[in-house]
Amino acid sequence: MKQPNHYAPPKWPLRLLRLFVKEEYLEEIEGDMEELFQDNLETLSYRQARRMYTWEMIRLMRPLIMKNIRITLSPNPYDMFKNYFKISFRSLMRNPLSAFINIMGLAVAIGICMLVYAFIAYDNNIDQFHTHKHSVYLTTFFADREGTLQQYGQTPGPLGQMLKKDFAQIKHVCRIEDRNLVLKYGDQVFTERVRYTDPTFLEMLTFPLKWGTSQSLADVNSVILSEEMSVKYFGATNPIGENVHIKLGNAGTKTFKVMGVAAPFPKAHAIDFDFLINFENLRLSESDGALHDWNTLVNATLVQVEDPSDLKIIQQGMDKYKVLQNKEVQKDWAISSFAFEPLATLHKNSAQIRDDISVDPPIESLVALPVIGIFMLALACFNYINIALVSTTKRLKEIGVRKVIGANRVRILIQFLVENISVTFFALVLGFILTITVFLPWFIPVSGRELELNLIDSNFWVFLLAILLFTGIASGLYPALYISRFDAVKIFTGSVQFGKKNPLTKLFLGIQLVLSCILITGAVVYMQNTTFQTMRSWGYNQRDVLYVNIPNQAAYEQLQDKMLQNANVRSLAGSKDHLGKKISTAIIHTPANRQYEVEQLAVDAHYVNTMGLQLSDGRNFNDQSENDKHTVIVNELLVKNMELSNPIGHQFRIDSTKYQIIGVVKDFHTHSFYNPIRPTLFKLADKKDYQFLSVQVKNGSQEETYQALQTQWAALFPDSPFQGGYQEDVWGIFFSQLARMEEFTRTIACMAVLLASLGLYGLVSLNVAGRVREFSIRKVLGARLLDLSVTIARQYLVLIISALAIGVPVSYMLIHTQLNMMFAYPMPMDFSGVSIAVLLLVCVLLGVISIQIRKVAKSNLVKGLKVE
Amino acid sequence: MKKTKLGEFEELVLLTVAALQEDAYGVEIKRELETRLKEKLSVGSIQSALKRMEEKGFLTSEFGEATQKRGGKRKRIYATTSYAHQVLAEMRDIRAGLWEVIPNVSLT
Repeated sequence: MKQPNHYAPPKWPLRLLRLFVKEEYLEEIEGDMEELFQDNLETLSYRQARRMYTWEMIRLMRPLIMKNIRITLSPNPYDMFKNYFKISFRSLMRNPLSAFINIMGLAVAIGICMLVYAFIAYDNNIDQFHTHKHSVYLTTFFADREGTLQQYGQTPGPLGQMLKKDFAQIKHVCRIEDRNLVLKYGDQVFTERVRYTDPTFLEMLTFPLKWGTSQSLADVNSVILSEEMSVKYFGATNPIGENVHIKLGNAGTKTFKVMGVAAPFPKAHAIDFDFLINFENLRLSESDGALHDWNTLVNATLVQVEDPSDLKIIQQGMDKYKVLQNKEVQKDWAISSFAFEPLATLHKNSAQIRDDISVDPPIESLVALPVIGIFMLALACFNYINIALVSTTKRLKEIGVRKVIGANRVRILIQFLVENISVTFFALVLGFILTITVFLPWFIPVSGRELELNLIDSNFWVFLLAILLFTGIASGLYPALYISRFDAVKIFTGSVQFGKKNPLTKLFLGIQLVLSCILITGAVVYMQNTTFQTMRSWGYNQRDVLYVNIPNQAAYEQLQDKMLQNANVRSLAGSKDHLGKKISTAIIHTPANRQYEVEQLAVDAHYVNTMGLQLSDGRNFNDQSENDKHTVIVNELLVKNMELSNPIGHQFRIDSTKYQIIGVVKDFHTHSFYNPIRPTLFKLADKKDYQFLSVQVKNGSQEETYQALQTQWAALFPDSPFQGGYQEDVWGIFFSQLARMEEFTRTIACMAVLLASLGLYGLVSLNVAGRVREFSIRKVLGARLLDLSVTIARQYLVLIISALAIGVPVSYMLIHTQLNMMFAYPMPMDFSGVSIAVLLLVCVLLGVISIQIRKVAKSNLVKGLKVE
Repeated sequence: MKKTKLGEFEELVLLTVAALQEDAYGVEIKRELETRLKEKLSVGSIQSALKRMEEKGFLTSEFGEATQKRGGKRKRIYATTSYAHQVLAEMRDIRAGLWEVIPNVSLT
């Protein structure tokens, strides 16, 4: 009688039983259990019987009945690991070159990752050292600009004092205004950035002093220096009590006593100072302006509140200022609302806030850095996998012996992982050294940030550990799994099929090739782009122009007289603004009631000629004509934006003054090439406002004239520092950044080529080693070198072609996107960059394959045939 | 008495095996003991007692027939060794001797 199926005992307890009961007892106990179950069915319900069965099964778990699952602990794990390290060191040393390249690749990749870390950590730490960062706020306002609300970090001058007076919730207010002033100490004369501020500055922001007291800022006659400035003027000595002279605009020179020197600023900062003097001095120098006129803006107004929730009340109460402000100023500067930005998040949001005090040098050139880091790490890992697979062909016997002595698969796995993690550790140390000695010094000038690897930062150690484990395991797991699989017996009888068919290694190599293709293309295109950017026209004659900053009209006239006598000077101009040095913005109103924000340069009639700007339509200014005071010359972009078909004679309004377009110049760059050309106009400057003198000299006489200019300056104004230069150098930082980035990408690309070729080398030699016998037989049967080459190369051809088929479009798109992100005027990309990269890659790969072919051709076929 | 290391439960199982003769296999031993002791026993406790005594040399075992009811699995028939008989007899004698020297005790 067969039991119906649904009266069978539950399945899983039986499976459990089979798993843990000693094999010799299994049949008996299984039978007993079954019999018991059937017995129980007679008295109990099916469900109860099943429950009983399970319960009995669980109670069978007794040590006497269970299998011996003993966890064997090595009596001396230290010796075991010592042996692992010794063996791994020996196997690394067996092929020192590939080990070196391998470790170097990992080190470079890890180094770049560290750099990325330093970069991100730095960015997150900017201005985070202030104790009151959560209670100190920057006052900002929103204004309507061409239809969108723009947040501004500056504030109307009187606002600070009124806030303090009107709101009891505000604990401190601090106004900040900067001027570049001439400072004199002894015979040292320099133009310095001087910060006018309220005494609360040092209370609200955390800048501890090295010498002196912060209270001294309350005294209008004292000055507080930064560490850097103290060293510049006074060396290592304590300067407290020394007198410095600062030329305060209209008020003439005033003597200040040094009453404090700040301790060195934390590296990650955006807000700092060189010289701090009391805000009252601004009134002395600039006739009340910034203090009472709603029309002028001060650089920043910081407030500190006890309770952040008070800000809402304050914000609502500020509407009356809006009315005050908007009554006073021109309509186009009307404020739509005020807002507060906490110091803690100010820097993070500073990209959205215009003209705030927490700005940073541009970092467009570094957007690709994290991507490069990840790519390199992936490349290095894949490479390691391929190399590890190859090198183990030589270690098969070792694995066999280990297995025979009693290592199980887990042991072998652990051995290889430990080995790999120690190699990674080595690479990590190397990468750290590389970062400190090479990468960081490279990147500090590129990024304009004092990047550092902070060893006290616990996150950094966590990051290092994560990198170590991730890289070690990611690169080592597959080889370890692969290798530990083999049977000892098969290894010794030589029947292990090694390297014949392993689609995964090919996949890895394929990914490696794609990554290298991207990196090499990046490097090539970057080099092309650097040339392109260097060759790019500035829109004017930057090579023959020199400029110098002048203090006032009198100085301008004196210098003008002298320079006009110089035979090398072809043209000379005075101006209030200057291309690449100083520019202001204005809002223009068209009769059709449209608004445009434009950049404006106030210049004289010779400026266009001197700078070599090209008029494409209309005429230049005329100095003599009184009418020309109300005329402008615009650039083509503005004409295009205003959609004017016939711009000459067109009129518009700036503030309340009417202007007429009399000329159009071709577009030119007022900013570095990271930034797009903006709509720009020139108008005539008042002679008393001149701040720059520029000269165009005969080609080839730049240096000579520059020296003459300096000599003249020193003779005329011994008390003022010379501030001038070659026009070509105004974007010096931009071009040096380009050069450094090029250097960096080139290094990365070399590394990528090296790694990719090494990976392929490994794979090919693995393949050849596995087919020695086959090749020998082929040779015996009369195969020529060509036939052998074809046999070897054929299988990689598909791989290389398909990798390139993916790599080329991907690299093209990636690099294209990146260039467009970085530069306002990227090089128009063609396929030449990709082609060069592909060509390079293919050459290297062919070279690698041919080395192996040569090896096969030269090998002794008798030996080859003997291979088991 | 030498150290026979025979526990109380083990002694009971051993006696049952001796009593059941050819029928002495796991489930039958359990059934027999359960009726005599009037309590439920687990397979595990019986089995571990059997295995332990086999290890100690009180029992031997061999496979018996397979039945449909057992899902085609063979029984393991246990048999007592002479050593077991000797120990059991010894135990009984010790007990009997002790009983004799106990003065009349009312066994109510």
